[in-house]
Amino acid sequence: MSSPTNRMAFAAAAIAALVSVTADAQTAAEIVVRADQIRNPDQPFRFVSTLTEYVSSKPQAQNVLAIFSKKDPRTHQFRNLVRYVEPPRDAGKAVLLDGRTFWFYDPASKSSVRISPQQRLIGQAAIGDVLTVTMSIDYVPTLVSTESIQDANRQARESWHLDLKSANDLSTYARIEYWVEQQTFRPVKAKFYSDSGRLLKILFYRSFENTLGEERPTEAVILDAVDSSRVTTIKASGHKPADIPETWFQREYLPRLQTE
Amino acid sequence: MAFRACALVLALLWASAAGAQSPPNPDDELSRIPAEEPKPPPAAPPGESRLGQLHRKLYVESATETALLRSSLDVPLPSPNPPTIEARLFADALLEWIPRRDLSVHFSARAGLRAGDDIPFATHENIRVDFRELYLSWQPLGGAFLDVGRINLKSGVALGFNPTDFFKTRAVVEPLSVDPAVLREDRLGSLMLRGQYTWSFGSISAAYAPRLTSVTPVYTNSNLPSVDPMFDRTNAHHRLLVKGNVDLIADFSPEVLFYDEDGNVRVGANIAQSLGKKVVAYAEWAGGKEPRLANEALSYGVRTGSLPSAAASALGATSSEQFQNDVSAGLSYANESKMTFWLEYHLHQAAFSRQDWSTWFADGNGLAGSFLASTLWYIRGYAQEQQAPMSKHALFLRADWTDAFVFNLELTAFANINLYDGSTLAQVTASYSVTDFWSVAAIGAAYIGTRQSEFGSLPSVLSGLFTVRRHF
Repeated sequence: MSSPTNRMAFAAAAIAALVSVTADAQTAAEIVVRADQIRNPDQPFRFVSTLTEYVSSKPQAQNVLAIFSKKDPRTHQFRNLVRYVEPPRDAGKAVLLDGRTFWFYDPASKSSVRISPQQRLIGQAAIGDVLTVTMSIDYVPTLVSTESIQDANRQARESWHLDLKSANDLSTYARIEYWVEQQTFRPVKAKFYSDSGRLLKILFYRSFENTLGEERPTEAVILDAVDSSRVTTIKASGHKPADIPETWFQREYLPRLQTE
Repeated sequence: MAFRACALVLALLWASAAGAQSPPNPDDELSRIPAEEPKPPPAAPPGESRLGQLHRKLYVESATETALLRSSLDVPLPSPNPPTIEARLFADALLEWIPRRDLSVHFSARAGLRAGDDIPFATHENIRVDFRELYLSWQPLGGAFLDVGRINLKSGVALGFNPTDFFKTRAVVEPLSVDPAVLREDRLGSLMLRGQYTWSFGSISAAYAPRLTSVTPVYTNSNLPSVDPMFDRTNAHHRLLVKGNVDLIADFSPEVLFYDEDGNVRVGANIAQSLGKKVVAYAEWAGGKEPRLANEALSYGVRTGSLPSAAASALGATSSEQFQNDVSAGLSYANESKMTFWLEYHLHQAAFSRQDWSTWFADGNGLAGSFLASTLWYIRGYAQEQQAPMSKHALFLRADWTDAFVFNLELTAFANINLYDGSTLAQVTASYSVTDFWSVAAIGAAYIGTRQSEFGSLPSVLSGLFTVRRHF
């Protein structure tokens, strides 16, 4: 039997712990929002993404994609239109990603097929990592700790270590470990996990440049955690504000998407 | 014993696909990062090409196919026999020219040489040119488009059979493979006028293809014209297609279609929906009054002079029409090992029932059968040219594995199963991108079933195809 004093002390500790947890949760959410603002411009924009696949440190393949991104005013999630520019065998292919709606268009077959969110990471539509995504909406963050980690250039960065859990079916990954630099809110590193808890990829952000009014990462280095011989670099360039009409996000528009 | 060995091999394959994992060391991680490349000098981003530039997708492909034929068939095939070896070398072009922001010109064609043991050498049959598309597209308003010319118009959300793809009939020429994905790639467009308007919540389009010629007999491999637009395949009827889709609620945007061919109306609908992260469910339906497949084929044969009217009446052909439904419904599932699976059910109500198959084999057997055999095979040739399934009920399975075992190797397998007799057309493809420009592929197909089954009654039992492709 505990005394009233003990019970009050326990209640005070419980309230303090609850307040602390709530404060942590708010902070974690704010950190992810600020990091999203660093990663992505708020206005509609277009850019070119160059993916280079390395196998055993040697470049094996390169894809160039033209990407149009615009926030959905209702959900605040980014909608993306992707048109393949290179290599020649893929030129003209296009993908529409609007909320839960994913369509893949192939000019060779002149037809659009619906793809699942999982197929963003498979085969010809494996573009899940080049898309503009709002992590603060797609994931629920928790602050794990603060720690000093090395960035892609082996510079020590005082970072928040966050654990992000998928908040909906739209998220590309089930879970992300995310490191954000404390002073600047710059994303430093991320680890991506599948539904089964398997580590799929490790990502480092680098090449911060002034892009559409903010210092933003223009390159992501993705280390394949399943096949250690494989690395992908994704370089973003040519960011421009763009007038992207709502009609472009209809699947029937996909064959008509131009890069001009 | 054999089962255990297979299970062990499958388990090893699965383990290699899944990969063993241990926690990565941060130093190992950093050592894998490629050095930052120096920034290239400023230039126009590659995705931002200038107006007036020609966008092209060109490749040259060599394809060699060989087939193993059955020694005898219960319903004998009229001569000539299908080829046992065939070689092709062709260039395929897809061009797009955008002279102004609101104007574009599209061209698509395939031209090449072929030789086989069913084609005499050297004749015009050794040269083949297919003009698939040539059309002008004008955008007078934001979401409005007007297209005129030869256009390949496709509809449908399913993979193995598209009931709402009304313009597919007779449009496929010389397919390299029976894979439905390949059949979509080399087919002729129809000369048409098309208008499309897209809103933020849906779109509507209307296409009219006029009749320019009359119907012609079913083509075979050995009587294809060398250089001919073949409008008889695509513009032998007045055809009108109106289709539209509306976003009813978020992520739910069904499409409805209205199709009129010389006064025969068909309607249709398409739905595709994500179920969670890994599954897509889709369904496609079309319905309208039409004769049964056999009657339609026989009447077409008589009309084009390919069959004597006596042959049609001998098989009891009638001209009656009924409302017939076509359905293709299925699911796709993608997993974390870069594999995607499809399962699809096909209904083609006008096609052969179990009784029709029994009659087909009974009519084709024996002495009387040899007299009717060419008529019976004509029905199957007609269905193939129409891209229509021969059986009422079928199951379609497909699997695709990207980066299988090694980077850039893709394995694809599909099976088309007749649900009456269990006979199966199975095909496996291994394609490998050697570089961004070179790729090779090997395809093997098997026609499995008893002698009196849909696929077991075909002349081929096995076939193999090897291709080498160079992109430019």
